[in-house]
Amino acid sequence: MQGFSGGGDGATAELAHLQSTMSAIEAACTSIQMHLNPAAAEATILSLSRSPQPYKACQFILENSQVANARFQAAGAIRDAAIREWAFLTAEDRRSLVSFCLGFAMQHAGSPEGYVLAKVSSVAAQLLKRGWHDFSTAEKETFFHQIKQASLGIHGVHVQFIGINFLESLVSEFSPSTSSAMGLPREFHEQCRRSLELDYLKVFYCWTRDAALSVANKITESDSAVDEVKVCTAALRLILQILNWEFQCNSNGKKGVNVFSSGIRQDAGLSNRSECILVQPGPGWRDILISSRDIVWLLNLYTALRQKFSHEGFSIDCPIAVSARKLIMQYCSLTGTIFPSDNGQLQEHHLLQLLSGIIHWIDPPDLVSKQIECGKSERSLFSESPSAAGYFSDYVLVTHQILLSCLCSEMLDGCRALLAMATVTSPTMFNQLLKSIRPFGTFTLLSTLMCEVIKVLMTKAPDEETWSWEARDILLDTWTALLMPLDSAGGIVLLPPEGVDAAATLFTFIVESELKAASASAFNDDVDSDYLHTSISAMDERLSSYALIARAAIDVAIPLLTRHCTERFTRLHQGGGSLDPTETLEEVYSLLLITGHVLADEGEGETPLVPTAIQRHIADSVVPDKNPVVILCSSIVRFAEQSLNPESRSSFFSPRLMEAIIWFLARWSQTYLMSPEGSQDSSYSSKADNMHQVQSISSGQTVLRYFSEYDHGKTVLDIIVRVAIATFMSYPGEKFLQGLTCYQLLHALVRQKNICIHLVTLESWSKLAIAFANEKMLFMLNASHQKSLAQTLVLSASGFRDSESANQYVRILMGHMTAYLVEISSKNDLKRVAEQPDTILSVTCLLERLRGAASASEPRMQKSIYQMGSSILNSTLILLEVYKHESAVIYLLLKFVVEWVEGQISYLEAQETTVVIDYCMRLLQLYSSHNIGKISLSLSSSLLNDAKSEKYKDLRALLQLLASLCSKDLVDFSSDSLEAHGTSISQVVFYGLHIVTPLISLELLKYPKLCRDYFSLLSHMLEVYPEMVGQLNNEAFSHILETLQFGLHHQDSEVVNMCLRALRALASYHYKETASGKMGLGSHASSLRNPKGELQEGIFSRFLRTTLQLLLFEDYSPDLVGAAADALFPLILCEQGLYQKLGNELIERQANQTFKSRLTNALQSLTSSNQLSCTLDRMNYQRFRKNLTNFLIEVRGFLRIV
Amino acid sequence: MSDEEHHFESKADAGASKTYPQQAGTIRKNGYIVIKNRPCKVVEVSTSKTGKHGHAKCHFVGIDIFNGKKLEDIVPSSHNCDVPHVNRTDYQLIDISEDGFVSLLTENGNTKDDLRLPTDDNLLSQIKDGFGEGKDLVVSVMSAMGEEQICALKDIGPKN
Repeated sequence: MQGFSGGGDGATAELAHLQSTMSAIEAACTSIQMHLNPAAAEATILSLSRSPQPYKACQFILENSQVANARFQAAGAIRDAAIREWAFLTAEDRRSLVSFCLGFAMQHAGSPEGYVLAKVSSVAAQLLKRGWHDFSTAEKETFFHQIKQASLGIHGVHVQFIGINFLESLVSEFSPSTSSAMGLPREFHEQCRRSLELDYLKVFYCWTRDAALSVANKITESDSAVDEVKVCTAALRLILQILNWEFQCNSNGKKGVNVFSSGIRQDAGLSNRSECILVQPGPGWRDILISSRDIVWLLNLYTALRQKFSHEGFSIDCPIAVSARKLIMQYCSLTGTIFPSDNGQLQEHHLLQLLSGIIHWIDPPDLVSKQIECGKSERSLFSESPSAAGYFSDYVLVTHQILLSCLCSEMLDGCRALLAMATVTSPTMFNQLLKSIRPFGTFTLLSTLMCEVIKVLMTKAPDEETWSWEARDILLDTWTALLMPLDSAGGIVLLPPEGVDAAATLFTFIVESELKAASASAFNDDVDSDYLHTSISAMDERLSSYALIARAAIDVAIPLLTRHCTERFTRLHQGGGSLDPTETLEEVYSLLLITGHVLADEGEGETPLVPTAIQRHIADSVVPDKNPVVILCSSIVRFAEQSLNPESRSSFFSPRLMEAIIWFLARWSQTYLMSPEGSQDSSYSSKADNMHQVQSISSGQTVLRYFSEYDHGKTVLDIIVRVAIATFMSYPGEKFLQGLTCYQLLHALVRQKNICIHLVTLESWSKLAIAFANEKMLFMLNASHQKSLAQTLVLSASGFRDSESANQYVRILMGHMTAYLVEISSKNDLKRVAEQPDTILSVTCLLERLRGAASASEPRMQKSIYQMGSSILNSTLILLEVYKHESAVIYLLLKFVVEWVEGQISYLEAQETTVVIDYCMRLLQLYSSHNIGKISLSLSSSLLNDAKSEKYKDLRALLQLLASLCSKDLVDFSSDSLEAHGTSISQVVFYGLHIVTPLISLELLKYPKLCRDYFSLLSHMLEVYPEMVGQLNNEAFSHILETLQFGLHHQDSEVVNMCLRALRALASYHYKETASGKMGLGSHASSLRNPKGELQEGIFSRFLRTTLQLLLFEDYSPDLVGAAADALFPLILCEQGLYQKLGNELIERQANQTFKSRLTNALQSLTSSNQLSCTLDRMNYQRFRKNLTNFLIEVRGFLRIV
Repeated sequence: MSDEEHHFESKADAGASKTYPQQAGTIRKNGYIVIKNRPCKVVEVSTSKTGKHGHAKCHFVGIDIFNGKKLEDIVPSSHNCDVPHVNRTDYQLIDISEDGFVSLLTENGNTKDDLRLPTDDNLLSQIKDGFGEGKDLVVSVMSAMGEEQICALKDIGPKN
């Protein structure tokens, strides 16, 4: 920078130039605002920031322009240009840029266009960060001295605000998560962060606090201190931001920081809890944050604000109050080494201080909630204010609402503060906190508060958004934080006795209000039927929090639930059909959900254990029949059993109730039914038979033993199976219920081996199997449920001791289906009958069932499943022909074949493999002959889309089929080798590809899944069997190439990667073959004249061009460079002549001499540095990868721009 | 082959076999259903309940397979719905006449001349273009509930 305005001769001309730039920018800014030709205006503005050294013009605009927007853009241009040109700027330039921006902001501090000033000071902050390592300490000190003066208010309130504002930008720039990009490596940001945290953050904190202190008095005393309010708000916000800093130098900055993992916060587990961030500055902050009286001051400030506002009737929701509250909450989240290890005394004192300030927001709960609900300001908390509304009679309504909303947010913030405290303390300390200011502990407050919130919630419609929803969720999170602290990995948390009592009271209240809500909502239907339908999963999270509370007071919770259940069950029986049971049904429904959550955890694929609270809980009585958990479980199972009685079923077992029962049984049985633990203990103690030992057994074991295979387990299992059958037979068309039975209950049962062993011996289970094979009702089930049922039944065969009986069982089970399918397909008038809907329905069901069975392939049943499939191979081909227009059937058929082949292929002997492969080829040919060249016509675009996506699904299935055939070469359990029988898998798959590829149009490759499947199969084939490519005919070959070409430009980098791998395989194969004097890819590789006489390049020339083009000029993910290098290297070796030519062309194209020589050198070293030689071995590939990376770094930048 | 013959004439039948009853709960997306006496392809099925503790009912959205119009219906899921018998037959396309009829070759060597070209310009041009280029075309004719329409065409190679 050559000074702001030079005197002398050139000055006039320069001034004119600056003037014209300014007016151009001003015009552009105005036209953007008016939406006149925005593109051109944008270009003008961009040209300013892109021009070299635009600083003078920008400064001129900032100082002289009347258009605020132009000043804003000029500031942005300074930033962009300076960041770009930083390396070229002299030290003096850099310094003066920063000080210009700072000075500008301070000079114009009073200007009404705040956003310009904010922008300018953020530019200053960014430049200061950019030069953090370049500026000397003295230079930095000068800047900061200026800031300090400003923020302490020496130059007045406006400058003070600017000072704080600048610090705010600075802190956010230095915090990695909010920093703006500077084109520098991550280490730079990390070093800046560290330096600021160690050297400046505390200082900033003190300045800001002092700034806030300096204006606070004025605010509380006067009514018109608007500017001071602004400063104070900004200061509070900055303190909040500083406390939000991700402190890492906890122990005196000695902690080693891993630059690359520090982006992940350690408290990630907290992220699902609402808005609670732990603040963990190191012990260095203790004297500033804890020992100083800042907290007391802040609480006093807020109290003063509150009184002031309540007098004047304007909002507590104004920014300063909100910031103050947020800051108070942030202080609540302080934790870690900032507190000395003095048994938490200092922390307790600290929290107590805060709590005594916060308590007024939430206590007494009933009063607070009443005030919020009625919005009655007469009974306001602030006794000095008789009626806030009275002052402003015109704004009565408005005032009411504002007061209402601010009371609300104050109360919510109070709840959040409790959550924060719960997160940082142990339950005992948490409870103790309140004891010194109230006659009860914090748990009691928490429980009363929540009861109050739920009470309010009950009066609202479920879809009404109210504060009570939010408050309930925050309070539930508070309980969760207390009962399931992050550091105790599933261990039990001991609550103080008061906590247990509070939990018991709360849970009792929760159950009562849930029951009330249930019976109240029993009759509203349809309106929110969607809401109800998803209720089980939607309520899940809330119910698990309830379960935690219940488990904290397990002694009370279990008998309570038992009492409620028994009462409702009896009521249903007494009703006997005369009364409308709907309300009771709904109550039982929600009781079952709650009980299920309390008793057992969600398995999520694992076997859930008995919850610790139930496990550890020592029952009063060791007699299992008197154990409260056993009593509760048994009463529900007995109730479920009554659904088997047709009379009671019709009178009160509604589908919805059955859903809850099935859900409960599924969840419960995973934990309790025939648990291996229970049976072990049982056998152990039966050996020991020692009364002493029995007495010391905990409740959990008593329950497990009660429901083990040696005791009541078998009876209960039998009941469950019979209830499941009833849902299939007696609830026609209840899809959701039957789905629950299939997917949740039965799947869960057969997943456990020890249950399977007993299942297959049960009479009810064979009844289910027989019904499945013969019963018409079960053919009426939803088709996918039939599939799942078939799978379940076949899987249960693993419960047989030997494979012979398992196979026998499957054969009998599936024999009916195969026979039926064969019978249909061999009908004489099949062609006529086939299109009748009833035939289609039967065929669909049969195929679904076969598919389900095929997907249950396990080594033990493999034989019978192979036989099942092989007996219908011919029939499926017939059906494929007959149903060629019925895409739904075709898809099922293909899916069956895919799953069957996938499950079987690795076990098959050579003879069987040949059969399967022949069959697959016939299937492919037949499918292709029906579909190639087919165009669907329809008036409806959605039907046309359907037709397209059906085609896509079919093709995907076919590709999967080929892929599973491929796997035979890799995984093979058969006793003799395939080659001995003259079958080559690769030949077969290539032939299959040859049939399938013409069906796959480029249009269809836009389906991402199909695209991936196709390219992974293709690249696999080309990599493993490149020699087969040479034998393909021209048409097939060119189709493959076309798709490769397409794949190289796909936006999915995985697809590009696969294509590059395929190219590498092809090129290296060809190079190696030709080097040893063989044909390689022969005619495909060399240039040819096509029939029209045009010269067609060989494939490698084409791909060399494409790959180079891609690497040098197009956008791609940096991950691809390695794969591209591996492909490019053999390509260059194959086509050295062309490569030279292309290189020369590139060099010729460069006009700029420097670039030209740089490019020449780079091309030179690409192929010669690192001792690269012409053999394709691992060493050379690696060297070439390195060379290519260097090459791209060297030249890609200017090649792409120029 | 007499079966085929019989079949073409059967579209004038009383309609006993035009539709079949099927339980609503078993009808899936992509299946067929009769809504307001029109054959439809099901594009959406959802279930709901009559009252909280009542029985399930199915809500079908179907698209008329001939005119592409959207139709909806609600049926208790244990009740029966009518499912149309949708039949598709392939013919070789011999000629397109001036007055908008096509001439088709049946499997037994006769011609079928009573089928109109679709009126929609787009579909019409797809058929005409293919025919005009001299390709050997096979058309699939879909018929249900006494109506029929060309629903697909397939190129089986150049005319020799």
